[in-house]
Amino acid sequence: MKRAAVGETQSSVSAAEDLQTYSRREWKGNTTKSLLIRKGYEAIASEFNLCRVRGDNYCALRATLFQVLSQSKQLPAWLHDSDISKWAKEMHSDFITEWQFPFETSMSKLQHLEQCLELLKNKWQEAVQYKSLEDREHMCQHVFRGHDEEYELLEALKFLMLRTAIQLHSDMEKGSDVPEFCWLLFARDSSKCPKTFFTNHLRHVGFSGGLEQVEMCLLGYSLQEMIQVVRLYKCDTEEFITYYPNDHKNASPLCLLTEDDGHYNVLVPKKSSKFDAYGRPKWNQSSGGQPSITTCL
Amino acid sequence: MSFIPGHPVTAVVQRIEIHKLRDGDNLILGFSIGGGIDQDPGQNPFSEDKTDKGIYVTRVSKGGPAEVAGLRMGDKIMQVNGWDMTMVTHDQARKKLTKKNEDVVRLLVTRKSLETVVRQSMMQH
Repeated sequence: MKRAAVGETQSSVSAAEDLQTYSRREWKGNTTKSLLIRKGYEAIASEFNLCRVRGDNYCALRATLFQVLSQSKQLPAWLHDSDISKWAKEMHSDFITEWQFPFETSMSKLQHLEQCLELLKNKWQEAVQYKSLEDREHMCQHVFRGHDEEYELLEALKFLMLRTAIQLHSDMEKGSDVPEFCWLLFARDSSKCPKTFFTNHLRHVGFSGGLEQVEMCLLGYSLQEMIQVVRLYKCDTEEFITYYPNDHKNASPLCLLTEDDGHYNVLVPKKSSKFDAYGRPKWNQSSGGQPSITTCL
Repeated sequence: MSFIPGHPVTAVVQRIEIHKLRDGDNLILGFSIGGGIDQDPGQNPFSEDKTDKGIYVTRVSKGGPAEVAGLRMGDKIMQVNGWDMTMVTHDQARKKLTKKNEDVVRLLVTRKSLETVVRQSMMQH
């Protein structure tokens, strides 16, 4: 079977580009909004480059998955110790029956979910084995090219979110301690319990809807990661940088960017940032051209 | 009780203990600061109150001492080793953080989060 070469047009995540250049190109003009968004881009431009993510309703999951695969140094404990494909069988059949896949499948939904979970574990294991940046980038290019494999991984993430939501809801009912976002997740009229959360929200992610902010908390928590989002339209407010969820200690966050809480792109550390890989400042001077000083310590 | 978008968020106070990294003669913290009473507060993208002249964390280097200690971009630094940082110049802030005889700095920071909105709403009932 002929396979096309991995090309820019097929890629679900673009190569890294400079934030300032992108910002000036996309946000010309001097409306209040343009100025605010450009100010936001400028605030982080010396530290990060931008990788644009395919703009469908999977983008939040895709951006997060990309960061996970390109940055994980080791397989997380929760994945390491589990045969996660078995989790599909443990899931109540109501959820499996209602599952939507974005591709054709000849196997049962249960079997396909098992396959998705297995694939996630394999890809994660593969990723952490690569020590060089080039090998990681090559692997990510191969994963993020819009084929079934990419979507299987994204569906696996949705499954993990559902499994976690079920567990958390059960803990809440028992009166155990739960992360604060759980209250918000199940306070919505459309999602009072895992069943309605799934039917009204999660099963549509990737199709007719993306992830709401509280669902970003669930995603981060499910993966035991902290997702750091630079929210450009919130520049000049205390929500400019928001953490999903906020209570995961000592995590190196996965960095994303959004202009509007709808579409998410990926932020990668700029190689020419003021810090080297060990956090040492390369030089001690104020950021040139900006009216206010920032100092590297 | 429901989440109201745009409703003011409240701050969570975090205690952060940073163990500086020694690099020859230098002690590295692995983050950058912006702000100060001698700076233009309008330039700070992290604050809501455009008269807020506090000290903010503008960058955190990946894997550095600050990130490992739990400091995050956007955090507002309230105290360093007990010294107030809400009414200091940029340079005074820098000095408090980079004392050569201190290997460890203990910060008190405030940080906004989605979840503090929930906690606030819960407390009202």
